[in-house]
Amino acid sequence: MSLTSKIPSTPEYPSFASIFLILIAARLWVSLTDLSDILKHDQQLSSPLTSFSQLKEGIFLFNHDIDPYSGGSFRHSPLLLSFFVTALPSSRKLASVLWTCSDAVGAWALVRIWRARQNVRQSPRDVLVAASYLFNPYIFLPSLALSTSSLENTLLLLSIMFACKGKASASLFLLSSVIHLSLSSAIMLLPILLLLITDPHSHIASPKPLSTPLKKAIPLFGEFVAYMVALTLTSTLVAGSWSWIPQTWGATLTLPDLTPNTGLWWYFFTEMFDHFRPFFLMVFTVHLFIYVVPVCLKFQHDPLYAVFILLGILGTFKPYTTLSDPGLFLTMFAIFPEIYPYMRYPIVTVLLHLHASLLMPLFHHLWLSQGTGNANFFYASTLVFACANGAALVDCIWPGLMIAIGPRVEGYSIVQE
Amino acid sequence: MNVSKCDTKHLRCDCLTFIAQHYTFFPLALGQILRQYAVTEMHLALNAGNWNYDRWGYPEEQGVGTGAELWAWMGDGAAITVDERWKGLRNALAGLFCASLGSLDELRTTSPAQTFIPEGTLPDWGVSHTVRHASLPSEHVCTENLTPFLKLLPCKSLSGIASLLNPHRLFDADWHGMGVHVLWREGEGVEMRLTFQSVSDPLRYDSAKKQDWSLQSLFDRTIHRSCPVAQSSEIVVALPKNALYSIKPEPPLIERSSAHFDVNTPLEYRSESTQFSVKRTLRGPSQAHGQLSVVIVNHRPYAIHTLYLETMPWLLQFYVHTLEARVDGVLQAGIISNLTYIPSVPHSRPTTFQALLNLPPHSTVQITMDVTKAFLRYTEHPPDAQRGWDLPPAIFTPVELATNDSSFSVKEGRHYTSTLLVDLATPDFSMPYNVIIFTCSVIAYIFGTIFNLLTRRFVVVRLDQTKT
Repeated sequence: MSLTSKIPSTPEYPSFASIFLILIAARLWVSLTDLSDILKHDQQLSSPLTSFSQLKEGIFLFNHDIDPYSGGSFRHSPLLLSFFVTALPSSRKLASVLWTCSDAVGAWALVRIWRARQNVRQSPRDVLVAASYLFNPYIFLPSLALSTSSLENTLLLLSIMFACKGKASASLFLLSSVIHLSLSSAIMLLPILLLLITDPHSHIASPKPLSTPLKKAIPLFGEFVAYMVALTLTSTLVAGSWSWIPQTWGATLTLPDLTPNTGLWWYFFTEMFDHFRPFFLMVFTVHLFIYVVPVCLKFQHDPLYAVFILLGILGTFKPYTTLSDPGLFLTMFAIFPEIYPYMRYPIVTVLLHLHASLLMPLFHHLWLSQGTGNANFFYASTLVFACANGAALVDCIWPGLMIAIGPRVEGYSIVQE
Repeated sequence: MNVSKCDTKHLRCDCLTFIAQHYTFFPLALGQILRQYAVTEMHLALNAGNWNYDRWGYPEEQGVGTGAELWAWMGDGAAITVDERWKGLRNALAGLFCASLGSLDELRTTSPAQTFIPEGTLPDWGVSHTVRHASLPSEHVCTENLTPFLKLLPCKSLSGIASLLNPHRLFDADWHGMGVHVLWREGEGVEMRLTFQSVSDPLRYDSAKKQDWSLQSLFDRTIHRSCPVAQSSEIVVALPKNALYSIKPEPPLIERSSAHFDVNTPLEYRSESTQFSVKRTLRGPSQAHGQLSVVIVNHRPYAIHTLYLETMPWLLQFYVHTLEARVDGVLQAGIISNLTYIPSVPHSRPTTFQALLNLPPHSTVQITMDVTKAFLRYTEHPPDAQRGWDLPPAIFTPVELATNDSSFSVKEGRHYTSTLLVDLATPDFSMPYNVIIFTCSVIAYIFGTIFNLLTRRFVVVRLDQTKT
């Protein structure tokens, strides 16, 4: 943080564009190997709502005049269906290229968010931010497996990027598309509205009540509702009936497919007693939304930080998670370097993540392919993963609150009231 | 060939009509069920074992799929819907035959009207008729099913050919199956066919290991007298074509290499070899996904067209986009056409998959399709969950293609494949409480920590120097 070294502001660091292109080329090279075919069935990388095989099945049914939403095998949004029916890369390689491009756009959006937050045109950290998105294994692997959750991440990042730039229409339109692809992302609405009426700069160290009146968000909310309605009608037009709603959004709420994933829902509802199922489905859904208002209230001075925390909530608690959901949250740490000195137990968090990310694939393989372990092994590792994400959440909320108090001073102690 | 084939029972009760309401011969118990649920045509088969088409040729009765199979044609438009009557019918038949036909619920019910065409005629009442079909491959056929079956016969097993139905021997056979078929023929009335088929190996019973057999050696029973009410009772023995044989007593009538013995009108017996043989397997070591592979060998020097029907419970979900056909190992288009597909719905409706196959002469066609295996709620697993789930057989029906267009007509000779066993991933059945407690604890811990941070304010306090 030496201010003196920054004064000669000629950009002597290597050009961001060239390194960014090298990073993407590396990604492209890996994605064109056969790794993708090995990973496409992996349930940790793609859930029934995001799997590429299921998307292809839906396109096949749609092209053969069979309503893809009449059965239980296709749960993707009609928006994705219409996009891929018209512009489907028929070969797997072209699809891999598309997914890599999507990740590249995502990484570029993240860099733009970082620059918007710092209010600079370019910074030496750009490359690091881009690399932390492109080479985060939690994001990289689902993208190799062609999980549509990678596309959701890109759209969400673009939405946040436009919100940072203050481009309300683009941001709200992209947000409503993300919500169409995955209903749980609706929790991002409030922080993004707040971000639109304020600015993305770092105010995390100086908490103050919201200066802009909330009334300014009302027309924005109206615009969002209009986009939602328009996209819903488009979806209905594409699907030919309303039957897509119970198959896509309904699946998020009722969990008909209990395929294992990295989240907390699947085993809980596998083992749930039938007469308690509706109740706990309600509890889990409400639980996901209960964080929105408190987090936005507490971090009203810095809505981008609220976005960051709610991404963590989403990655930990949403139904049908894939690794790319917590992956996006963890990558976002790269754009908040000011919190690093205040983190609570970063070592513990890293170790928990290491533990979970090594054991999850192992126990998944032992249970379903090898047959030498049972469901409890994999379930236990997903619990550790939930704890790891929980610890990461604490590691971002704690410094978010501590930074306002500043560094510790001898003779003083910080306590909670 | 040391396996002799005995189609022992073939009774016809032709002259009975519902209009006359004569239950002299027609079993009242069955008649009432059919009347109450307004069933136009019904076929029930309870089989044990796997019919080996390659060794035994086509069976006399087509319905030889392993386990229980029930299909019925019913007129629509009544006050009670077809599905409700179908439910009533299977429960009533379950009671009548002491079989678990009640399990043929909506998880297994499909309506494959092209494969299961009515054998009789459908009355023209101005209402449409629909078919309901379900099969339960895990049904085990036993004595308790045979006893009610025998009760439907006018002479029970006291006299006539039915006296050969000795449960000890029948259920020891290599393959056995019983069938109840009720249909309506225009101008004739209701026809009921009760059939019992079995395949016995005479060498198994003969200590001298000779290929000789007699009714006594096969069934441990003989026929003392014919059933007094039977118009005809006949035993037909297929004679070996290219081998020496002797048959005692000398048959009064030999027709097309079959000896006919009149126990008290001719019954044609054919034993042609099958046109094609089918092998269906589920491949892949994973409990999450696999591949369904069907290998069909056409033995004929001409192309055969056949309908391929899968009625799969939702436990196995098809990826139809991965459907591929290989002829002698080479990927080829044009083998599969006329695809009809009704996708399954998790926890309820089964898949109905039907395709028209064109099998080139003297070739091996392999059809593969990726499938995913379902993950069930712990209450949906059967008590012996580790055993796996029996999946119903696929059914191949030969068809005649119309020359001008793509329509086709179904021919005789349904071919059932063997059943499959799918190994589904099981949760731990002993710990629902533990899972609920663990997951809730983790969520409560994260929730608690976050809300503790968000709701309680941090303050800086000066440490009292004097205390330390």
